[in-house]
This record gives sequence, structure tokens and C-alpha cells, in this order.
Amino acid sequence: MLDQAKTPFEIRDYIRQQLFPHFMCPGCGHGIALRALLWAIHDLGIAKDDLAIVSGIGCSGRIGAYIDANTFHTTHGRPLAFATGLKLARPDLHVIVITGDGDCLAIGGNHLIHACRRNLDITCLMLNNEIYGMTGGQVSPTTSSDRYTTTTPEGNYEPVFDACKLAQGAGAGFVGREMTLQTPSLKKLIQQGIAHPGFSFLEVISDCTEIYGRKNDLGESAEMVLSQKADFRSASYGMIADEVFQPRNVKTGVLYKDDRPEYAQAYRQKIASRAKK
Amino acid sequence: MTTAVKPVKAPNTPPLTIPRPHNVLIVGVGGQGVIMISKVLATLCQEQGFEVKQSEVHGMAKRGGAVFSHVRFGEIVHSPTIPEGEADVLLALEWAEGMRWMPYLRQQSGTFIADTQRIVPPFACRNRTRGARTGYVGETIQTVMEQVENSFALDAMGIAKQLGVVKAANTVLLGALSTALDFPTEAWKSVISKFVPPQTTKVNLLAFDAGREWALGFDRESELRNIKDTRSLHQESTVEAGADYSRVEITEEWCKGCDICVKFCPERCLIMNEKLIVEMAEPELCTGCRMCEWLCPDFAITVHTPNHVPL
Ligand code: SF4
Ligand code: SF4
Repeated sequence: MLDQAKTPFEIRDYIRQQLFPHFMCPGCGHGIALRALLWAIHDLGIAKDDLAIVSGIGCSGRIGAYIDANTFHTTHGRPLAFATGLKLARPDLHVIVITGDGDCLAIGGNHLIHACRRNLDITCLMLNNEIYGMTGGQVSPTTSSDRYTTTTPEGNYEPVFDACKLAQGAGAGFVGREMTLQTPSLKKLIQQGIAHPGFSFLEVISDCTEIYGRKNDLGESAEMVLSQKADFRSASYGMIADEVFQPRNVKTGVLYKDDRPEYAQAYRQKIASRAKK
Repeated sequence: MTTAVKPVKAPNTPPLTIPRPHNVLIVGVGGQGVIMISKVLATLCQEQGFEVKQSEVHGMAKRGGAVFSHVRFGEIVHSPTIPEGEADVLLALEWAEGMRWMPYLRQQSGTFIADTQRIVPPFACRNRTRGARTGYVGETIQTVMEQVENSFALDAMGIAKQLGVVKAANTVLLGALSTALDFPTEAWKSVISKFVPPQTTKVNLLAFDAGREWALGFDRESELRNIKDTRSLHQESTVEAGADYSRVEITEEWCKGCDICVKFCPERCLIMNEKLIVEMAEPELCTGCRMCEWLCPDFAITVHTPNHVPL
């Protein structure tokens, strides 16, 4: 099932074209992330019927609706909870959760740490644009310091959450980060995440151009996408590159991987061995 | 490039005491070892009791830029640089560099030794369409061998590869060079041993012998006969003239005018029209790189290229 696809990737085979153009603002990075996800699904050769997309609330939550597969638009912060039930009931499906920084880390933070702890075979795509865009631009757990939002008129003083460290600490089997600027690398990372048997937490660096970008004078869409390059650097660059070039010391690529037993499988084995006794 | 070994006298041997300085020009591309070769040569000449002057330019060496080194030796050497048309030996580590420095070679009596390795500089790739013709030099081995009497074109890297150490290609060239200068083989070897890392001395000396043997056994006439025109070092374009190579399809209704594609297109072929919808302005510049397709958040661009290369 996970064979490399030989046919060219046609994004229109995977989207609900009647809903296009989508509702996102001009230049929103989530569109690029959606392309990378669909591209990865195509390259893995996953049939659309074997795919279940679960999304929460927010701009990120809305992109699930554009995918022509089994999609669930759930309540705020709870996509991982829904996905856990879904995966336990239908282990044959590829369950992919699309969530945002606020949805995943603030409102659904508790669900995230327990999903990581259980290590259920779910791929969680957290689109990090550092803001609650849909609700009007409130501060989120990943908003960079000194940035203006509607709830931080004097600039943000709260420390920033490192979502990847959190996921790793909580026990996720696969942790990675990539930016939308590097679309092919992002696709590859998502591919690895889906193929990993266990919980994969992927942080996607995205941009909110209209609300966050404009309020903080971060330039136009193209400038915002390009600026990702200044803040993030591939983990393979090593230490010297970090010290010289990287102001924020945030790494991209596969950050952590281990082969802890997958929960749904371990659970079923346990039940089966009980039944035999 | 092997020929039957036929012992011939090393061509163009200068006498050991020479009335005028003897000039060796070594050229190549950064990182190939031009400086190492010229250091070996200069040390050797010095040990043989000559006055030596060496000057080099290795500015953008690490970036693959051109590197050259003049080595002059004789009883008395005044100027450190070789005037045009007065190099007795031109040793090229890269084919195009050899062609570029050809005017420096002494007419008739000059010896030209070149590695047939091609390193195509980025500057020669200005047509960025895939498979397009590069601006690399057009001269083939045949043309050069026909025009320059003492010319040797060898695949030094291939010879070194047979010995199992690709890095010894320079020593192979030193071996070939040794046939054009009348110094005792043992003297060459002792200098080379001083310059190479100790654990590679053995293989480097083998490489030297291989290069020397190759040059001594080189039979220009039979080599010329064997060369087919297909041995051209210049790669022909694989794109038919005027082929509709890539086509950028824009779905206007989906474009929101965010400007990402316009700013990211490396060839600057897209523009924003007055309706704030993207438009293809210079289709002939498009290389089909797909940058615009990948970064368009609204899937408004599809790039069609004839050959699908999965990433
Ligand atoms: S494929 Fe797109 S980005 Fe690349 S050269 Fe063509 S128009 Fe420009
Ligand atoms: S990137 Fe897409 S939406 Fe933005 S201007 Fe280009 S075609 Fe339009």
C-alpha cells in the first residue's frame, strides 16, 4: 500500500474542486501545507477511501474540508480525541489530524500530551502560524515575543512553547518540523510521518499574512514565506551553522524517532491473549 | 584511453643546463590541485639547483573558480610570470581551462598535457532549461591534437580510479608531466613523497608511474586515428529548437493575487496584471522548475512538463 507512486501528482484529484477557491486569505501558508500533505498522500499511494482527515477549529481546521476523502470537522481542540477513537475502532484507516497552534497546544494541549503518551498510529500536522487567525488575531502559545496581537497590544511577553520538545517529552514516536517554504522537504517529512508506525507529531511552519503579518509589519506574503529561511535551519546543518546564521536556533527536519510499541496494536494483542485464557 | 606501449623518447626534452628560463603553466579549477602540482614542481626544480619563481592566482578556488600557477626555472629567472606564447609546457587539469590558456603555449615546441575531465562552470549554464546546451568550450580532443603537435589528452581520473584512489589523479598528471621535463624519476618521487600524506605515499608513487608510462607509451598517430567525432567533450543540447518545453497553466478564478509566485519565480517570467491576477509574461524564459506551483497557496498554477521527474 505504501508504494512510491509512479504517476505525476495532480492536486485536483485530491481536492473538492467545487469548493474552490478556498476561504483562506491571499498568501496564507496553510494552502502550501495542504498541497504538501496531498502530495505526500499521493506519493505514498494511499487510496482516498483509506484516509481519514480529522481537523479541529480554526483556519487550520477548515483546510480538512477541502480534501476529497473521509473528513471530520470536530470541536475546538478535540481532533486528537476524535482521532483516537476513530483509530481504535478502524485501525485500517490512515488517520491524519490537521490542527493549529492554538487548537493543538492551548485548547487541546491535554489531548496532545496524552495522544503522544499512548503512541497511537496517528499523524498530527500542527500548522503553526503563531496566532488565532480565525477568531480575530489573539495571542497563541507560539506567538513570538514582542509581537503584537489583539490581546497583546503592548507586545507579547509570554515565553514561546516549543511544541516539538513537548511532543517528544510526552512520548511521541516521531517528531519533525518543516517550513512551507521548503515544499518538497515538507512533503518528504509528512511522508515519513505517515509511514511511521506510531504517533507522528509534525510542526509545519506556516504564515498568517493578513492578520499576524499585517499587524506586525512583517511584509507581504512572499517576504513572510522567505523570512522562514532566516529563522529556521535544517537539523543536518550542524552546530557551526547554528551559531553563525541562526537567530532563533530552531531546527527543521526529523527531530526525533523511536520504535516504541504502537498502542492500538498492543491493545488488540492484549485483548486477544486474554480471550485465549 | 590506452594504447599499446611503444617505447619512444620523451618528447621535447629540455637540456639540463638551459640558456633561458623554462616555463611551465599549470591551470585548472579550484580544488583540483593546481597549487599542489606547482609546489611539487617548484621544489623539485630547486633541489636540482635551478632558480625558481612561481606565482599563482587562486582567488575563488573553493568556489570552483579558475586557478592558475606559473612556474619558471633556469639559471637566472627575472620575472615570475610567463609571457603569452612562451609556456614550454601547459598542464591543464580541466579541459576548458586548457583551451582558455592555449595562447600561452609556445608555438611548435610547446607541450600540451590535458586531463579530459570536464567541470562545467555555472556561468556556462545560462540557459537554464533542462537539457539545454551549455556554454562549455567546443574544441574536441581531435581538433587540439591535430593542431598542437606535442599534445597529450589523458583521463587522469580514470587512471587513478583503476588504482583505487581517485584523489591520486594529480599524481598521474605529474607522471605525464615528468616525461616533458628532464629530471630523474627518483628525484620526482622523493619530492612527491614529501608532499602527499604519509599513508598515501605508496599509491601516489604507483599513480606517478602509471601517468609516466601512459605518456611514454602515447602514440599520437594511432590515437588520432582511433578518435571518433563522438568523443567530443562538448555536450549537445537535447532540447529541440522551439520545443514547447513547459507550460504554466493559470486558473484565474482561483488566484488571489498574493504575489508569491511572481516574487519567487527564479526566471521572473510571471507578472501581476491590473486585475491583480497573475499572468505569464515571458513563457520562453520558463524552465519548468515548479517553484510557482509549489508555493501557490491557492493551487492556481499547474506546470506541465513533458518529462515527469518524481521528487
Ligand atoms: S515553473 Fe513557474 S517559477 Fe519556475 S520558471 Fe516557470 S513560471 Fe517561473
Ligand atoms: S501564488 Fe497563486 S494565488 Fe498567489 S498570485 Fe500566484 S497564482 Fe495567484
